[in-house]
Amino acid sequence: MKMLAPALLIAVASTQIALSRTSDLTAWKGGGFGMFATLDHAGHRGLDIVVDAPDRSEQLQVPASIELAVARAAAYPADWSLRAVAEAVVARERRYQRPVSRVTLTFWRTEFDRATLHPSERPVRTFVYDVP
Amino acid sequence: MRTVALREPAFPRHDWPAASIGQAGPATVDVAAGDREPLAVRSPVRPRDIALCLTAIALLLRPMGPWFVRPAILAVAVLMILSPAMLRSALAWSAIAAMVAVRIADDWPLADNHIYLLGYWVFAIALSLRTAGGEALAFSSRWLIGLAFAFAVLWKVMLSPDFIDGRFFRVTLLTDARFGDAAQLIGGLSAGQLDANRKALQPLPAGAELLDPPAIVEPARLRLLATAATWGIVALEAAVALAMLLPASMVRSSLRHVALLLFCGTTYLFAPVAGFGWLLLAMGVGQLDETQVGLRRAYVAAFLIVIFYGEIPWAELALGAGRG
Repeated sequence: MKMLAPALLIAVASTQIALSRTSDLTAWKGGGFGMFATLDHAGHRGLDIVVDAPDRSEQLQVPASIELAVARAAAYPADWSLRAVAEAVVARERRYQRPVSRVTLTFWRTEFDRATLHPSERPVRTFVYDVP
Repeated sequence: MRTVALREPAFPRHDWPAASIGQAGPATVDVAAGDREPLAVRSPVRPRDIALCLTAIALLLRPMGPWFVRPAILAVAVLMILSPAMLRSALAWSAIAAMVAVRIADDWPLADNHIYLLGYWVFAIALSLRTAGGEALAFSSRWLIGLAFAFAVLWKVMLSPDFIDGRFFRVTLLTDARFGDAAQLIGGLSAGQLDANRKALQPLPAGAELLDPPAIVEPARLRLLATAATWGIVALEAAVALAMLLPASMVRSSLRHVALLLFCGTTYLFAPVAGFGWLLLAMGVGQLDETQVGLRRAYVAAFLIVIFYGEIPWAELALGAGRG
């Protein structure tokens, strides 16, 4: 019984490490105790959102209404989290009666040069959502 | 004079060696004294009760979770502080553990790591309250702290190449507003240099490159601070992990507590995560026995110090004083 809680910690932290290595889950989140261990965190990750429709191709600033979904997708850019962002974007565009046929999400992270610290933005994953 | 118990003693005398407390026993009242106020009596407490109480206080100090769990967590925590029966209720701690799990699942993976540790800890409390002694709680506390610190060291030393080469603290001291005052006060940066560095560290869009990128100003003191923070935190975390995980025959109990207190006393002066500090300190108390009165007091003092660390902008005040 007394090993249950420590065993749970080991299971969650090991899963977090696996997800981090295979699916870009940030080290800072997910229960693996990787906080304050790497620059690869929310402050240096992001999501670009481009909306396409006939006669329209526009990059969107992240609206407040979908900030949580974007934060989640930036922390863990899996299919389900990116799809949730895309669906939220489509719903929002429709609320404002703007046409949308495709949402393209690009997950990027900032990398810093080891010597000079100069930053560069590196696209990591692109997710395309065609509106059904 | 006849004495009667006013109610169930909050912390029964028989659980507590008199020599280790130097406090009065269960509350008593002189029934012949009519409606006079009973004498104020301090109840002796066990380390486990202090650990539980500090955990409840930590829950109150940093309310967490969405609306459908936050008020319930706060309400149960208040009741735990008011009622010894609630404080020792396995059911109440199980409920807290379940609500913490809901809080983590609700916006997974955005919960901070100490929320996970809190979840394991309250789960361990609930399990330990179903057993007779406090040994199970002390065991869980040691293993949970040891494992959390071991994983933290693993991430820093093995899994994150930008930590050991110093980049993490070099960039974080410049870009994270929470460390800006320390970067100026200890690192010797001026406000103008800090501002210019932050602009220089803004990334350009993918593929873009400046012909003449601005240089990042890093005075020698700032580099030294980044290096000291990098290796200092690894050394402290590794010390805590080893102290907690090595067998009792290899590490004296007092050494474990000194390592943990040293970590909390230094790290939370800078790290803006007081909630993590309070949790670790509450867990540390959970390992004490009745004879370790000095350590118990040290933990409570450290708990209070972390409150002051978090609430007083000491670096900002020192910077202001330095500017005259």
